[in-house]
Amino acid sequence: MMHILKLYQIITHKIYCTLCKPLNTSYALLRNMEIISKVSKGTNMDQIYIPKNRYGFNIGDFVVIKPITNQEKITLFYNNVKQLEPVKVHIIESVFELIQKKIPSENIIITGSFLEKGYSFKDLDIIIISDKKIDLNKEIEKYTGIKTQIITMNNLDFIKGLETDPLYENMLSKCVSLKRIIYNIKRKIDYKVLDFHLLKSELLIINYKTLKGDEKYYLIRNLIAIHLFIKNKKISKDSIEKEIKKVFDIGVEEIFLDNLNKDFLNKYKKLYKTTFKEVMEYAKQE
Amino acid sequence: MQNRNKLVDLFIGNITNYIVHKILEMAIDNLEIINKYKKESKVSFEIAKIYRDKINPSTKLPDSIDVKKRIIQRVKIKLNERIKEGYKRINLDLVETITSETLEKLRV
Repeated sequence: MMHILKLYQIITHKIYCTLCKPLNTSYALLRNMEIISKVSKGTNMDQIYIPKNRYGFNIGDFVVIKPITNQEKITLFYNNVKQLEPVKVHIIESVFELIQKKIPSENIIITGSFLEKGYSFKDLDIIIISDKKIDLNKEIEKYTGIKTQIITMNNLDFIKGLETDPLYENMLSKCVSLKRIIYNIKRKIDYKVLDFHLLKSELLIINYKTLKGDEKYYLIRNLIAIHLFIKNKKISKDSIEKEIKKVFDIGVEEIFLDNLNKDFLNKYKKLYKTTFKEVMEYAKQE
Repeated sequence: MQNRNKLVDLFIGNITNYIVHKILEMAIDNLEIINKYKKESKVSFEIAKIYRDKINPSTKLPDSIDVKKRIIQRVKIKLNERIKEGYKRINLDLVETITSETLEKLRV
Protein backbone atom coordinates (compact mmCIF):
# COMPACT_ATOMS: atom_id res chain seq x y z
CA MET A 1 0.00 0.00 0.00
CA MET A 2 2.86 2.33 0.89
CA HIS A 3 4.40 1.74 -2.50
CA ILE A 4 1.25 2.74 -4.31
CA LEU A 5 0.95 5.93 -2.27
CA LYS A 6 4.50 6.82 -3.14
CA LEU A 7 3.78 6.19 -6.77
CA TYR A 8 0.97 8.77 -6.65
CA GLN A 9 3.47 11.17 -5.18
CA ILE A 10 5.61 10.73 -8.27
CA ILE A 11 2.71 11.53 -10.56
CA THR A 12 2.09 14.76 -8.69
CA HIS A 13 5.64 15.73 -9.63
CA LYS A 14 4.36 15.79 -13.24
CA ILE A 15 6.12 12.55 -14.12
CA TYR A 16 3.82 9.97 -15.64
CA CYS A 17 4.42 6.37 -14.83
CA THR A 18 3.20 3.55 -17.02
CA LEU A 19 2.92 0.08 -15.61
CA CYS A 20 2.96 -2.96 -17.79
CA LYS A 21 1.53 -5.34 -15.18
CA PRO A 22 -1.40 -4.90 -12.80
CA LEU A 23 -0.73 -3.22 -9.48
CA ASN A 24 -1.12 -6.38 -7.47
CA THR A 25 2.38 -6.72 -6.06
CA SER A 26 5.05 -4.21 -5.17
CA TYR A 27 7.60 -6.42 -6.91
CA ALA A 28 5.87 -6.08 -10.26
CA LEU A 29 5.57 -2.36 -9.68
CA LEU A 30 9.31 -1.90 -9.21
CA ARG A 31 10.41 -4.25 -11.91
CA ASN A 32 8.29 -2.76 -14.68
CA MET A 33 8.50 0.89 -13.83
CA GLU A 34 9.08 3.34 -16.67
CA ILE A 35 9.43 7.04 -16.18
CA ILE A 36 8.35 9.44 -18.86
CA SER A 37 10.27 12.66 -18.75
CA LYS A 38 11.33 15.53 -20.91
CA VAL A 39 14.80 16.23 -22.26
CA SER A 40 15.99 19.59 -20.94
CA LYS A 41 18.57 21.85 -22.44
CA GLY A 42 21.80 22.17 -20.51
CA THR A 43 24.91 24.31 -20.86
CA ASN A 44 27.43 21.67 -21.84
CA MET A 45 25.15 18.65 -22.08
CA ASP A 46 21.39 18.21 -22.26
CA GLN A 47 19.74 16.20 -19.48
CA ILE A 48 16.68 14.32 -18.33
CA TYR A 49 15.54 15.07 -14.74
CA ILE A 50 14.00 12.32 -12.64
CA PRO A 51 12.59 12.80 -9.13
CA LYS A 52 14.80 11.97 -6.18
CA ASN A 53 11.87 10.26 -4.52
CA ARG A 54 11.57 7.16 -6.72
CA TYR A 55 11.78 3.41 -6.95
CA GLY A 56 14.61 1.90 -8.92
CA PHE A 57 16.83 3.98 -11.19
CA ASN A 58 19.55 3.97 -8.50
CA ILE A 59 22.61 6.13 -8.83
CA GLY A 60 25.10 4.28 -11.02
CA ASP A 61 22.45 2.15 -12.75
CA PHE A 62 22.56 1.96 -16.50
CA VAL A 63 19.25 2.80 -18.15
CA VAL A 64 17.87 2.81 -21.67
CA ILE A 65 16.57 6.12 -23.05
CA LYS A 66 14.32 6.03 -26.07
CA PRO A 67 11.83 8.47 -27.60
CA ILE A 68 8.09 7.96 -27.22
CA THR A 69 6.01 7.91 -30.35
CA ASN A 70 2.34 8.69 -29.96
CA GLN A 71 1.47 6.70 -33.04
CA GLU A 72 -0.76 3.69 -32.75
CA LYS A 73 0.34 0.48 -34.33
CA ILE A 74 -0.69 0.39 -37.96
CA THR A 75 -3.22 -2.25 -39.02
CA LEU A 76 -2.96 -3.09 -42.68
CA PHE A 77 -5.93 -4.02 -44.85
CA TYR A 78 -5.24 -6.65 -47.48
CA ASN A 79 -7.32 -6.83 -50.64
CA ASN A 80 -6.71 -10.03 -52.63
CA VAL A 81 -3.19 -10.31 -51.21
CA LYS A 82 -3.02 -13.85 -49.93
CA GLN A 83 0.56 -13.85 -48.79
CA LEU A 84 3.14 -11.15 -48.24
CA GLU A 85 6.71 -11.58 -47.08
CA PRO A 86 7.28 -10.18 -43.53
CA VAL A 87 10.03 -7.87 -44.84
CA LYS A 88 7.56 -6.30 -47.27
CA VAL A 89 4.96 -5.92 -44.50
CA HIS A 90 7.57 -4.11 -42.43
CA ILE A 91 8.48 -1.84 -45.37
CA ILE A 92 4.80 -0.99 -45.97
CA GLU A 93 4.22 -0.19 -42.28
CA SER A 94 7.30 2.04 -42.18
CA VAL A 95 6.32 3.82 -45.40
CA PHE A 96 2.77 4.41 -44.07
CA GLU A 97 4.22 5.83 -40.83
CA LEU A 98 6.53 8.13 -42.78
CA ILE A 99 3.74 9.37 -45.05
CA GLN A 100 1.37 9.93 -42.12
CA LYS A 101 3.97 12.15 -40.46
CA LYS A 102 4.42 14.23 -43.61
CA ILE A 103 0.95 14.57 -45.08
CA PRO A 104 -2.58 14.27 -43.64
CA SER A 105 -4.16 11.50 -45.68
CA GLU A 106 -7.56 9.84 -45.93
CA ASN A 107 -5.98 6.62 -47.10
CA ILE A 108 -2.70 5.23 -48.38
CA ILE A 109 -2.66 2.35 -50.84
CA ILE A 110 0.19 0.13 -52.01
CA THR A 111 -0.35 -1.66 -55.27
CA GLY A 112 1.51 -3.16 -58.24
CA SER A 113 4.42 -5.55 -58.56
CA PHE A 114 5.61 -5.02 -54.96
CA LEU A 115 2.71 -7.22 -53.82
CA GLU A 116 3.67 -10.12 -56.09
CA LYS A 117 5.42 -13.11 -54.59
CA GLY A 118 9.18 -12.80 -54.30
CA TYR A 119 11.52 -9.90 -54.76
CA SER A 120 11.51 -9.29 -58.49
CA PHE A 121 9.27 -6.23 -58.16
CA LYS A 122 9.94 -3.20 -60.38
CA ASP A 123 9.04 -0.43 -57.97
CA LEU A 124 6.83 0.60 -55.09
CA ASP A 125 3.51 2.03 -56.30
CA ILE A 126 1.79 4.23 -53.74
CA ILE A 127 -1.54 6.04 -53.98
CA ILE A 128 -2.06 8.75 -51.35
CA ILE A 129 -5.62 9.99 -50.96
CA SER A 130 -5.17 13.51 -49.66
CA ASP A 131 -6.12 17.11 -50.40
CA LYS A 132 -2.50 18.15 -49.97
CA LYS A 133 0.21 17.45 -52.49
CA ILE A 134 3.78 16.94 -51.31
CA ASP A 135 6.44 15.23 -53.39
CA LEU A 136 7.66 12.37 -51.22
CA ASN A 137 9.17 10.22 -53.99
CA LYS A 138 12.79 10.93 -53.20
CA GLU A 139 12.33 10.70 -49.44
CA ILE A 140 10.66 7.29 -49.65
CA GLU A 141 13.20 6.07 -52.20
CA LYS A 142 16.00 7.12 -49.86
CA TYR A 143 14.27 5.46 -46.90
CA THR A 144 13.44 2.15 -48.57
CA GLY A 145 16.05 1.95 -51.31
CA ILE A 146 13.23 1.06 -53.73
CA LYS A 147 12.25 3.08 -56.79
CA THR A 148 8.96 4.73 -55.86
CA GLN A 149 5.98 5.95 -57.90
CA ILE A 150 3.51 8.05 -55.92
CA ILE A 151 0.13 9.27 -57.12
CA THR A 152 -1.44 11.83 -54.79
CA MET A 153 -5.04 12.88 -55.33
CA ASN A 154 -8.11 13.91 -53.42
CA ASN A 155 -10.96 11.50 -52.77
CA LEU A 156 -13.17 12.99 -55.49
CA ASP A 157 -10.55 12.56 -58.23
CA PHE A 158 -9.84 9.08 -56.96
CA ILE A 159 -13.51 8.12 -57.31
CA LYS A 160 -13.63 9.76 -60.77
CA GLY A 161 -10.58 7.74 -61.74
CA LEU A 162 -12.18 4.53 -60.53
CA GLU A 163 -15.32 5.25 -62.51
CA THR A 164 -13.61 6.03 -65.80
CA ASP A 165 -10.18 4.45 -65.81
CA PRO A 166 -9.65 0.68 -66.17
CA LEU A 167 -6.13 0.99 -64.79
CA TYR A 168 -7.40 2.30 -61.46
CA GLU A 169 -9.69 -0.68 -61.14
CA ASN A 170 -6.83 -2.99 -61.98
CA MET A 171 -4.61 -1.31 -59.38
CA LEU A 172 -7.18 -1.72 -56.62
CA SER A 173 -7.97 -5.33 -57.48
CA LYS A 174 -4.87 -6.25 -55.47
CA CYS A 175 -3.66 -3.84 -52.84
CA VAL A 176 -2.70 -3.18 -49.24
CA SER A 177 -4.18 -0.10 -47.61
CA LEU A 178 -4.10 1.86 -44.40
CA LYS A 179 -7.88 1.96 -44.19
CA ARG A 180 -10.49 -0.39 -45.53
CA ILE A 181 -11.46 0.43 -49.11
CA ILE A 182 -15.21 0.50 -49.63
CA TYR A 183 -16.36 2.02 -52.88
CA ASN A 184 -19.56 1.35 -54.74
CA ILE A 185 -18.43 2.43 -58.17
CA LYS A 186 -20.53 2.51 -61.31
CA ARG A 187 -18.41 2.55 -64.46
CA LYS A 188 -18.66 5.54 -66.78
CA ILE A 189 -17.23 5.41 -70.27
CA ASP A 190 -15.09 8.46 -70.99
CA TYR A 191 -13.95 7.84 -74.56
CA LYS A 192 -11.16 10.39 -74.31
CA VAL A 193 -9.57 8.72 -71.30
CA LEU A 194 -9.92 5.25 -72.84
CA ASP A 195 -8.55 6.38 -76.21
CA PHE A 196 -5.59 8.05 -74.50
CA HIS A 197 -4.70 4.81 -72.72
CA LEU A 198 -5.37 2.68 -75.77
CA LEU A 199 -2.92 4.70 -77.86
CA LYS A 200 -0.14 3.48 -75.56
CA SER A 201 -0.77 -0.10 -76.67
CA GLU A 202 -0.09 0.91 -80.29
CA LEU A 203 3.60 0.87 -79.33
CA LEU A 204 3.56 -2.93 -79.49
CA ILE A 205 2.56 -2.81 -83.14
CA ILE A 206 5.19 -0.17 -83.96
CA ASN A 207 8.03 -1.82 -82.00
CA TYR A 208 7.05 -5.48 -82.18
CA LYS A 209 10.51 -6.70 -83.17
CA THR A 210 12.46 -4.66 -80.66
CA LEU A 211 10.40 -4.77 -77.46
CA LYS A 212 11.28 -7.25 -74.71
CA GLY A 213 8.78 -9.76 -73.33
CA ASP A 214 7.97 -7.81 -70.16
CA GLU A 215 7.46 -4.60 -72.15
CA LYS A 216 5.08 -6.44 -74.46
CA TYR A 217 3.17 -7.87 -71.50
CA TYR A 218 2.60 -4.38 -70.10
CA LEU A 219 1.12 -3.16 -73.41
CA ILE A 220 -1.01 -6.30 -73.87
CA ARG A 221 -2.33 -5.95 -70.32
CA ASN A 222 -3.25 -2.33 -71.03
CA LEU A 223 -5.20 -3.28 -74.16
CA ILE A 224 -7.00 -6.16 -72.44
CA ALA A 225 -7.93 -3.98 -69.44
CA ILE A 226 -9.61 -1.45 -71.78
CA HIS A 227 -11.30 -4.29 -73.67
CA LEU A 228 -12.71 -5.73 -70.40
CA PHE A 229 -13.76 -2.28 -69.17
CA ILE A 230 -15.86 -1.65 -72.29
CA LYS A 231 -17.41 -5.11 -72.01
CA ASN A 232 -18.25 -4.26 -68.38
CA LYS A 233 -16.29 -7.25 -67.14
CA LYS A 234 -14.26 -7.49 -63.95
CA ILE A 235 -10.71 -6.14 -64.13
CA SER A 236 -8.03 -7.82 -62.06
CA LYS A 237 -4.68 -9.45 -62.70
CA ASP A 238 -6.36 -12.86 -62.92
CA SER A 239 -9.20 -11.75 -65.20
CA ILE A 240 -6.72 -9.99 -67.51
CA GLU A 241 -4.50 -13.05 -67.72
CA LYS A 242 -7.50 -15.31 -68.40
CA GLU A 243 -8.61 -13.00 -71.21
CA ILE A 244 -5.09 -12.95 -72.69
CA LYS A 245 -5.19 -16.75 -72.78
CA LYS A 246 -8.65 -16.67 -74.35
CA VAL A 247 -7.90 -14.05 -77.02
CA PHE A 248 -4.31 -14.90 -77.97
CA ASP A 249 -4.15 -18.53 -76.87
CA ILE A 250 -0.93 -17.81 -75.01
CA GLY A 251 0.20 -17.90 -71.38
CA VAL A 252 1.73 -14.98 -69.50
CA GLU A 253 5.02 -16.84 -69.04
CA GLU A 254 5.38 -17.15 -72.78
CA ILE A 255 4.83 -13.42 -73.23
CA PHE A 256 7.53 -12.66 -70.66
CA LEU A 257 9.87 -15.02 -72.48
CA ASP A 258 8.91 -13.28 -75.75
CA ASN A 259 7.89 -16.65 -77.08
CA LEU A 260 4.90 -15.45 -79.11
CA ASN A 261 3.21 -17.52 -81.79
CA LYS A 262 2.99 -16.49 -85.45
CA ASP A 263 -0.62 -15.34 -85.27
CA PHE A 264 -0.09 -13.19 -82.25
CA LEU A 265 0.60 -9.85 -83.97
CA ASN A 266 -2.37 -10.22 -86.32
CA LYS A 267 -4.70 -11.05 -83.44
CA TYR A 268 -3.32 -8.11 -81.48
CA LYS A 269 -3.80 -5.68 -84.39
CA LYS A 270 -7.35 -6.94 -84.82
CA LEU A 271 -8.21 -6.50 -81.14
CA TYR A 272 -6.58 -3.06 -81.10
CA LYS A 273 -8.65 -1.96 -84.07
CA THR A 274 -11.92 -3.41 -82.69
CA THR A 275 -11.33 -1.82 -79.29
CA PHE A 276 -10.57 1.54 -80.92
CA LYS A 277 -13.83 1.35 -82.87
CA GLU A 278 -15.75 0.43 -79.71
CA VAL A 279 -14.25 3.39 -77.86
CA MET A 280 -15.09 5.73 -80.74
CA GLU A 281 -18.73 4.54 -80.64
CA TYR A 282 -18.99 6.51 -77.40
CA ALA A 283 -17.59 9.62 -79.15
CA LYS A 284 -20.44 9.37 -81.66
CA GLN A 285 -23.00 9.12 -78.85
CA GLU A 286 -21.79 12.27 -77.11
CA MET B 1 21.22 2.36 -96.07
CA GLN B 2 18.30 -0.02 -95.61
CA ASN B 3 19.09 -0.21 -91.94
CA ARG B 4 18.95 3.58 -91.70
CA ASN B 5 15.57 3.62 -93.44
CA LYS B 6 14.23 1.08 -90.95
CA LEU B 7 15.49 3.13 -88.03
CA VAL B 8 13.92 6.29 -89.50
CA ASP B 9 10.60 4.42 -89.89
CA LEU B 10 10.70 3.26 -86.28
CA PHE B 11 11.61 6.77 -85.16
CA ILE B 12 8.68 8.24 -87.11
CA GLY B 13 6.25 5.63 -85.73
CA ASN B 14 7.16 6.33 -82.12
CA ILE B 15 7.36 10.10 -82.38
CA THR B 16 3.97 10.14 -84.17
CA ASN B 17 2.49 8.21 -81.24
CA TYR B 18 4.00 10.73 -78.82
CA ILE B 19 2.68 13.78 -80.71
CA VAL B 20 -0.82 12.27 -80.99
CA HIS B 21 -0.71 11.63 -77.23
CA LYS B 22 0.29 15.27 -76.63
CA ILE B 23 -2.58 16.64 -78.73
CA LEU B 24 -5.15 14.28 -77.18
CA GLU B 25 -3.93 15.32 -73.73
CA MET B 26 -5.04 18.87 -74.57
CA ALA B 27 -8.45 17.66 -75.74
CA ILE B 28 -9.24 15.88 -72.47
CA ASP B 29 -11.45 17.78 -70.04
CA ASN B 30 -10.35 15.93 -66.93
CA LEU B 31 -6.69 16.88 -66.73
CA GLU B 32 -6.43 15.54 -63.18
CA ILE B 33 -6.66 11.99 -64.49
CA ILE B 34 -4.35 12.61 -67.41
CA ASN B 35 -1.69 14.19 -65.20
CA LYS B 36 -1.32 10.88 -63.43
CA TYR B 37 -0.30 9.18 -66.63
CA LYS B 38 1.74 11.91 -68.31
CA LYS B 39 4.91 9.99 -67.55
CA GLU B 40 3.59 6.90 -69.29
CA SER B 41 2.78 8.79 -72.48
CA LYS B 42 6.43 9.77 -72.60
CA VAL B 43 7.37 6.13 -73.20
CA SER B 44 7.04 6.63 -76.95
CA PHE B 45 9.24 9.73 -76.76
CA GLU B 46 11.94 7.79 -74.91
CA ILE B 47 11.85 4.98 -77.49
CA ALA B 48 12.01 7.53 -80.34
CA LYS B 49 15.02 9.10 -78.63
CA ILE B 50 16.82 5.74 -78.61
CA TYR B 51 16.21 5.33 -82.36
CA ARG B 52 17.27 8.92 -83.04
CA ASP B 53 20.61 8.26 -81.32
CA LYS B 54 21.19 5.36 -83.71
CA ILE B 55 20.51 7.45 -86.83
CA ASN B 56 23.41 9.26 -88.47
CA PRO B 57 24.33 12.04 -88.41
CA SER B 58 23.90 12.97 -84.75
CA THR B 59 23.60 16.61 -85.82
CA LYS B 60 20.62 17.85 -87.87
CA LEU B 61 19.42 15.20 -90.34
CA PRO B 62 19.89 15.98 -94.07
CA ASP B 63 16.37 14.59 -94.73
CA SER B 64 14.79 16.44 -91.79
CA ILE B 65 12.20 18.22 -94.00
CA ASP B 66 11.01 14.89 -95.39
CA VAL B 67 10.92 13.28 -91.92
CA LYS B 68 8.92 16.19 -90.53
CA LYS B 69 6.50 16.02 -93.45
CA ARG B 70 5.91 12.30 -92.94
CA ILE B 71 5.31 12.76 -89.20
CA ILE B 72 2.83 15.61 -89.70
CA GLN B 73 0.99 13.56 -92.33
CA ARG B 74 0.71 10.52 -90.05
CA VAL B 75 -0.34 12.56 -87.01
CA LYS B 76 -3.06 14.28 -89.03
CA ILE B 77 -4.36 10.92 -90.35
CA LYS B 78 -4.65 9.59 -86.81
CA LEU B 79 -6.34 12.72 -85.49
CA ASN B 80 -8.73 13.01 -88.44
CA GLU B 81 -9.72 9.39 -87.92
CA ARG B 82 -10.91 10.43 -84.46
CA ILE B 83 -12.54 13.70 -85.52
CA LYS B 84 -14.52 11.73 -88.15
CA GLU B 85 -15.86 9.48 -85.37
CA GLY B 86 -17.07 12.48 -83.36
CA TYR B 87 -14.09 13.13 -81.09
CA LYS B 88 -14.40 16.70 -79.81
CA ARG B 89 -11.89 19.48 -79.08
CA ILE B 90 -8.99 18.13 -81.14
CA ASN B 91 -6.94 21.10 -82.27
CA LEU B 92 -5.27 20.30 -85.59
CA ASP B 93 -3.55 23.69 -85.60
CA LEU B 94 -1.22 22.41 -82.89
CA VAL B 95 0.24 19.62 -85.03
CA GLU B 96 2.94 21.65 -86.80
CA THR B 97 4.07 23.57 -83.73
CA ILE B 98 4.29 20.49 -81.49
CA THR B 99 6.06 18.51 -84.23
CA SER B 100 8.64 21.28 -84.77
CA GLU B 101 9.27 21.63 -81.03
CA THR B 102 9.63 17.87 -80.55
CA LEU B 103 11.95 17.41 -83.52
CA GLU B 104 14.11 20.29 -82.38
CA LYS B 105 14.58 18.56 -79.03
CA LEU B 106 15.77 15.48 -80.89
CA ARG B 107 18.09 17.31 -83.32
CA VAL B 108 16.12 16.30 -86.40
